[in-house]
Amino acid sequence: MAKKKDSYSMIWAILSIIVVFVIIKFVSPYVFKILLKKDHAMPTPSTLMLWYMILGVLGALVYVSTSDLKWASFLSFMLPTEDDKTKKLLQKMIVIAFPLLLGWFVYSGTVPGTASPVELRIQHPTLLQKYEKMENPYSHVSEDLKLKYIEEGKILYQHNCRPCHGSKADGNGPFANAFRLRPINFTDPGTIGTVVESFAFWRIMEGGPGLPDGSTPWDSAMPAWEGTLTDEQVWKIIMGEYATAGVVPRQREEME
Amino acid sequence: MNKDIGSLFKGKIAIAIFSFLFVVMFQVIASHGVHAQEADEMVQYRNFFGIDARLVVWIVSELHLMFAAFVLGVPMFAVTVEIIGAKSGDIRFDNLAREFTKLLSAAFATTAAMGGLLAFCLYGLYPGFMRYMTDVFHPIMFVYALLFFAEAFCLYGYYYSWDILKEKGKWFHIFLGIMLNVFGTTLMFLANSWATFMMSPSGIDLETGALTSLHAAFENFLWMPVNIHRLIANVAFGGFVVGAYAAVKFMGAKSDEDKAHYDWMGYIGNFIGLAALIPLPFAGYYLGREIYSASPVMGNIMMGGAFSWTFIIQAILIGMLFIGGNYYLWNGMDRIEGAERYRKFIIFINVIIFFCFAVWLTPHNLPLSGEERALIGEQYHPFSKFFGVMAAKNAVVNLLILSTFFSFLIYRRANKGEILPFSKHGNSARIALIITAGLTILYLVWYALGLSHLELEADVKQYVSPLIKCLIIQITAIVITILLTFSNRGKFAQVFLLIVTSLIAVVYLAYYGFVVMEKANMVLRFLSVTQVSVVISCLIVTAVLDVFIFKNAKEVGQIRWGKIPLRSQYALLLLCVAIVTLMGLMGFIRSGLRMNWHIYGYMQDTSDGAFTPSIAYMGWTTTLIVVLFLALVSFVFWLAGLGEKKKEKTA
Repeated sequence: MAKKKDSYSMIWAILSIIVVFVIIKFVSPYVFKILLKKDHAMPTPSTLMLWYMILGVLGALVYVSTSDLKWASFLSFMLPTEDDKTKKLLQKMIVIAFPLLLGWFVYSGTVPGTASPVELRIQHPTLLQKYEKMENPYSHVSEDLKLKYIEEGKILYQHNCRPCHGSKADGNGPFANAFRLRPINFTDPGTIGTVVESFAFWRIMEGGPGLPDGSTPWDSAMPAWEGTLTDEQVWKIIMGEYATAGVVPRQREEME
Repeated sequence: MNKDIGSLFKGKIAIAIFSFLFVVMFQVIASHGVHAQEADEMVQYRNFFGIDARLVVWIVSELHLMFAAFVLGVPMFAVTVEIIGAKSGDIRFDNLAREFTKLLSAAFATTAAMGGLLAFCLYGLYPGFMRYMTDVFHPIMFVYALLFFAEAFCLYGYYYSWDILKEKGKWFHIFLGIMLNVFGTTLMFLANSWATFMMSPSGIDLETGALTSLHAAFENFLWMPVNIHRLIANVAFGGFVVGAYAAVKFMGAKSDEDKAHYDWMGYIGNFIGLAALIPLPFAGYYLGREIYSASPVMGNIMMGGAFSWTFIIQAILIGMLFIGGNYYLWNGMDRIEGAERYRKFIIFINVIIFFCFAVWLTPHNLPLSGEERALIGEQYHPFSKFFGVMAAKNAVVNLLILSTFFSFLIYRRANKGEILPFSKHGNSARIALIITAGLTILYLVWYALGLSHLELEADVKQYVSPLIKCLIIQITAIVITILLTFSNRGKFAQVFLLIVTSLIAVVYLAYYGFVVMEKANMVLRFLSVTQVSVVISCLIVTAVLDVFIFKNAKEVGQIRWGKIPLRSQYALLLLCVAIVTLMGLMGFIRSGLRMNWHIYGYMQDTSDGAFTPSIAYMGWTTTLIVVLFLALVSFVFWLAGLGEKKKEKTA
């Protein structure tokens, strides 16, 4: 039995790759739908699909070549056989399927299509030097005063930011669906929670037009609030926004 | 022997002449540019015969750093191997240490020539900037030059006195080797301070540039993190380059004896590379954190901004190193009789490693088409949302390290059978184990106390206490492990400690990482250090335990050195290319983070080449550097081997 299993190692490798493909392509979108309580499936993006499949194929090839014996039995599957009919059939299937698969890759990669281009986005555009050392002037006030400013900030947030970023700061404001790039969901700890307050100050003040070239400025509909809101109002909005989203800004580390 | 030395000298003379001519040519060309500029004005920048000055300095400094990394990394393990040889009386170790030093000696002249060329490039192409750096650091530059003499004397003394001191002066010879390391490492520390001063300047007035304290300028904020990171990286670099050298020699070897020797050398190279690679992510994390502390702008650029995609390339290269290292070990088990008992684990380790690689690779911000974004309905796909953040990445890198360590454990015991009861190893084994566990526990207690005394707001501090509990559980697990070992259940104790560590560092802290990310992201930095501390404590205790458990164990078979599949040798070559590329890439990131600053926050780079390169431009340049380094190092090693070939022919 063990020998039979070894001599079919090429088939096992192919099956493992197919299983990985099925999980990523068909199972995971529905698993995420159930786990995250979404009303639609979450299909795996093509870039990740490609990367994970490359890793899957590489992983299988690494395993079958971890010893001379394994490697030989992997390759020997394609040698002519007299009595094993299943093997003969599988050999034919591989010989037909492999070029077809390759052809499909070439075809799908080169056929003209209408898909929009894949964009390489930058998560956090480079903060301008003038904002680096900036600190929230209200960060060292008494607790009572801080709570007061947070409340003021929450009101300012609802007046100015809610239409896009939503009343719960979850990126689901009434206008959110109108944008190609949806407004940021601040409750996601991977967003404003990962930056210092001065970064948020810069983004509010300069908005989309103030983004550096590498950050595809034409994508962001965020307006520049400089001139409309005062510095004090913006700092209060930042305090209110973090409080509404339930996250805290990144803290500067002390230089020892 | 004399002929050998003669050929070596010829090789070095050839390199020296070549380098000298190159430097002279460079000076002539660069000085030609001066006449073209206005004579009255102080020249700030020049270019190299029309080639961008930044590109020239980039290439030359990387090449110098790569040779320097080799020259600094190899003596560390050459002396260690020599000490093992002297203690065990096994001549093979002594020969191996000598062969390492032969390579070192050959690369040393090139490192020096590259260093000279780099200095000329900097002074010639960036005169204004270097004028200032010289004003600040000139006292240290003199010390640097003197130390270079000391290093050179130690190296040549160490290499050429090998035969003379073989019998009676072995320990003096080892002392020379240790001094070679001391001088070399100090030399690197001095030069590091110049590079880190440019990133996190201190000891100067940031308005006027006036020097206020040379000591502060030297011991600037990023100095020690870079020192630690480079020190460990140099050993990994040296190990993998030596491994590739052994692979080439193995594939060209004619006799079984040579094949056995180079197979063993390749194994040692890979072992050293992997051993140094394991703590490297931790040192890298420490450096990254300190960069963020020095400047949130640099921190943001690095992990989330313009340089974030270079970290995806870094992830691929690190993944290749771990996969390559493991692949080599698994193929190496082919030549060990008895290894078949452990082969069943390989499939699981392989799956785990590739899974970790996939998570490690997944970026937080994926390139998405408009259609994909519409289908997903939000900015982040769950894969990138959960796998793309530090909580997940820290967990998988720890799992990757634990799995690689497990691979090494099964490799080590592949031909070992029945073990002796621990009590048979005597008191020295008990004492060694107690000291190891004691020191490890002491460190964990120290860190736990540090956490408990953190001055944080109450709502944040509550999230620190689970970390302290994790450390206490790990301390208890280590104590139980030692007790189990003393009651002759050492193998079980190892498994127990590995499981507890995985449960804490990988399972629980991965989950808890997401919790603190949401509730108190500031705690994430303490969580990462806790994770590292737990894993490192496990590695140290388990490794020491392994040495004693399998001491004098019955052997069920031989290791047939030289009978390793050729594929493994290609893995060694791949590891070398990966580590060289990684060093080229990370060197670019460290230096590039300053963006358009020579000295961050004080002196701006106003030259034409001050732009931040695109990923493609960086990729091409790094590739060119890697090819140049590999070609140069192959040439230098070929020169070093000329003497041997001549000797073989004469014989």
